Amino acid sequence: MKLQYLFPNRFKKIGWIILIPSVVLGVYWLIEHPEPDFLDVTIPPFLIEESFLNSAKDNLLNEVIGLLLIISSFLVAFSKEKLEDEFINKIRLDSLVWATYFNYTILALSIIFIYNSGFLNIMAINLFTILIFFIIRFNWVLYKMKRS
Amino acid sequence: MKNTIRVDRAIKNITQAKLAELVQVSRQTINAIELGKYIPSTVLALKIAQVFEKKVDDVFQLEEKDLS
Repeated sequence: MKLQYLFPNRFKKIGWIILIPSVVLGVYWLIEHPEPDFLDVTIPPFLIEESFLNSAKDNLLNEVIGLLLIISSFLVAFSKEKLEDEFINKIRLDSLVWATYFNYTILALSIIFIYNSGFLNIMAINLFTILIFFIIRFNWVLYKMKRS
Repeated sequence: MKNTIRVDRAIKNITQAKLAELVQVSRQTINAIELGKYIPSTVLALKIAQVFEKKVDDVFQLEEKDLS
């Protein structure tokens, strides 16, 4: 039985082209918190839960990076292989379960051992890591399989 | 589950790659099945048996551990 909800193979390459710079930019953002002027915006009041003002300034860089990371990691993770057969489907599902366990084990350990702003950073990273862990594990297993 | 694919291939004189092409899967999938690392779906098992012009249970057999 073929898995549904997968993108065509050509989207995988596009995904990689966006994902790699997005990860680099994401790491840079976490370290330096850059706020380029051209991405400064005023957030409309209805999007702000609680504010002393009717509007608030925000820099969109983190939003842009977040969206790029989500879109590109979906494309890389869920584009078909050149020959997406049932064995690859199985490896895909195994890897997704593995990545879920791995991701939440790390999150659980972080909850126990990391506090305050450190934990906020972990939460921000954790938003994206489940798919990253999946991509690493899935491609590693495929690589080992192709060599055998 | 064990299988006789390797022997059947030798009799028919076809490679893993050729068999893979005939049943529309990757060569790695055939390799994993031969090594007993992957149990094929019923559809794929039937297709493989068809290539060897055999019944599916002449190519694939249950083992003791499948029954426990």
